[in-house]
Amino acid sequence: MILFKGDLYHSKDQEIILNQLEDEINKTRRTKMLNPEKVIVALEKLGQSIAEGEFDALISQLNIEGIEKHIDIILMSLKRENIEYKVKTELGEHYFDIQKTDPPFNQKKLWIRPMPLGTLLHIAAGNIDGLPVFSVAEGLITGNVNILKLPQADKGLSIKIIKKLIEIEPDISDFVYIFDTPSSDLHAIKKMAEMADGIVVWGGDAAISAVRQFAPVGCKLIEWGHKLGFAYISGYEDKEKELTALAEHIISTRQLLCSSCQTIFLDTNSQEELHAFCEEFLPYLEVAADKYPFQSIDVIAERTLQKYYEKLDNIISGSAIRNDRVYKGKHCSLTICPDKNLELSDMFGNCLVKGLPRSELFSTLRKHKGYLQTAGLICQRERREELTDLLARSGVVRIMRAGDMSSAFCGEAHDGEYALRRYTRIVNIQ
Amino acid sequence: MKYRSLLFKTSDPFDTFNTEELFVKAVKENSKYQYDNCPEYKKILESMNFKPDFIESYDDIQKIPFLPTLFFKNHNIYSMPSYKMIKATSAGTKGKFSNIGFDFTGLLCGLRMVLKIGKWRKLFSFIPANYIVFGYKPHRKNKTAVTKTAFGATLFTPAIRRTYALKYKKGKYVPDLEGIVKAIEKYSKSRFPLRFMGFPSYTYFVLKMMDERGKRYKLKKGSKIMLAGGWKQFYKEQVEKEVLYKLANKVLGIEEEDIIEFFGAVEHPILYCDCINHHFHVPAYSRVIIRDVESLEPVENGKIGLVNLITPMIKATPILSVVTDDLGILYDGEECGCGILSPYLEIVGRIGLKDIKTCAAGAEELIKEVKL
Repeated sequence: MILFKGDLYHSKDQEIILNQLEDEINKTRRTKMLNPEKVIVALEKLGQSIAEGEFDALISQLNIEGIEKHIDIILMSLKRENIEYKVKTELGEHYFDIQKTDPPFNQKKLWIRPMPLGTLLHIAAGNIDGLPVFSVAEGLITGNVNILKLPQADKGLSIKIIKKLIEIEPDISDFVYIFDTPSSDLHAIKKMAEMADGIVVWGGDAAISAVRQFAPVGCKLIEWGHKLGFAYISGYEDKEKELTALAEHIISTRQLLCSSCQTIFLDTNSQEELHAFCEEFLPYLEVAADKYPFQSIDVIAERTLQKYYEKLDNIISGSAIRNDRVYKGKHCSLTICPDKNLELSDMFGNCLVKGLPRSELFSTLRKHKGYLQTAGLICQRERREELTDLLARSGVVRIMRAGDMSSAFCGEAHDGEYALRRYTRIVNIQ
Repeated sequence: MKYRSLLFKTSDPFDTFNTEELFVKAVKENSKYQYDNCPEYKKILESMNFKPDFIESYDDIQKIPFLPTLFFKNHNIYSMPSYKMIKATSAGTKGKFSNIGFDFTGLLCGLRMVLKIGKWRKLFSFIPANYIVFGYKPHRKNKTAVTKTAFGATLFTPAIRRTYALKYKKGKYVPDLEGIVKAIEKYSKSRFPLRFMGFPSYTYFVLKMMDERGKRYKLKKGSKIMLAGGWKQFYKEQVEKEVLYKLANKVLGIEEEDIIEFFGAVEHPILYCDCINHHFHVPAYSRVIIRDVESLEPVENGKIGLVNLITPMIKATPILSVVTDDLGILYDGEECGCGILSPYLEIVGRIGLKDIKTCAAGAEELIKEVKL
């Protein structure tokens, strides 16, 4: 399915549509401007229709665990207050008004005219439902023309929601084009990339490096890659409360999010301390696993069998079997590893535990610079400032309390950046 | 391999009780052979501190290190030089195939088993029949076991003609369901019975197509529908078996007892054939252990888990004890009521991460369906 100027077309018309797309986009960009106020009103109305259940049938097909919580977050993010606050935080007050510079040294003044970056190509990964819409919404708020290449896993929800948005505000129709082009159709994707001033790519390393291969020089790349979250523990303020919060975070997110805790680092070099921690923390995880039971037996079975297979594979290939020590709990586990690397866990309640003294924190995290995002910091009150500073210097961009590692906050940056700034440009006029 | 031969000569194909001692001996014999002739298998057993000599009683069978079918998709391991065996591949899931070697004596044992089970399920007849195969038309490039068994099933009676639903065209298989509908129409006028063999999914699609067009036939006595090969990519469209039975009766006049389902895997080449109540009882040549999805420890009957299948049938590849990608439940034989007392296996699902979404770095490689 293709969405072109507010109407749906069959995928087989892709070639014809792509051939006239540039002319259409040029015409729009030459003659029209999308009023941000209209976009905000439309997004708020869209939120209302989601709240009223217009998309419930499609959403229920997605079969997402804890969907109500996700919808609450989406509804909140579509509210006017949130969008206005986001714009103000990311672009500054009165961004859309034309202003004048006020330079020193009696230099001449210049007009400052904010403009959208131009045309954005969004290559959305299929790993978060609704993400393509979110990405396009950010492009619309900043007034860009948006070409969206849907992920193959998209089950039709994105196109329906954006169609609804256009019904609410027909002005948007010239600013969104959606294609369900498969990733294998490089010819078509390259064509879209050639029209774009920026490519917004969501996904793992493979997706991002694929885009880097074909992105034209001069086209801005806005990469939202996958990340690895971790917890750093150096003493406690309120041990029971903090360990409970960490356990609930690990279990409830299934460790599937960028911000989910994969590895717990303890500020120590002592193996005894690691063992003592596991013995103490495992019951917390078990309680949390009981509170947020994971129903998908097929997923658990797949992970178990995969682990078992890897063990056999190691035996056959003669590769050294890691001297890991596993603390197995009911529906969860902790594994003590001898190394200090930030690493993906087995997920679904199976966390890694490693010793990482403060003195080695910086150098260790630098090795993983592309994957840093969230750290859950648990420490004594008097150490918080020092450790926060160390984490910030090492490249971490979200330093949270352990229980809030995956919480959403109004006005927070995205992977250390204000996305809207990247989707805009400034024109100086004499 | 004297115990293996004795086991496959057992007169009652479902007597798992009186064959237990023999089964244990045959398993031990097989395990010893694999241990001595397959270096990889020996390595695995050694690193798990297991020796074939440990097998003394039935309870020891669960302790034998098992190999997941995934293992055979990534490793070709054999216990014999290749000129001594015949190779077959599994139908590919996620584009990977198991390569399994079979020894000649093992296949003879298999033939004995097929004859015995076929006789019990009244599959043999001297009256010739036409065959519709809802599967692959044999082609020299296709080595999949499912193609071979589908063809094999057309040998239960003399075959007059065979029509295939999946035809090999320009290097790939394409389904030709319209052609099948036409063939059924033609064969229904024949004075000989018509037999169907193959994937349940295609069988169901064709019956549904015919039902929607209002086609009704009454096939000759001796006509049968044999189902095998799983639902594969049509898992989502999986219909309740009863729906299929009713449809077959409505469209073709085939009674429920003439619908036979088979279950098997190239990594466990035992013919599982359903009883009149459509349950897969464990035959004497095989044993099933359901294992907990987390601990891999055996669970009691009635509980869901990973399916561990054990048979001493094959020497050429160490498929003595394998775990499939299926999730299943084993029930006490008496619960069926058909008279067979061996426990029966129900396949209830398949392992997988396909619906899981993640943005944790590296995790998506685990979930192959998620692409750019």
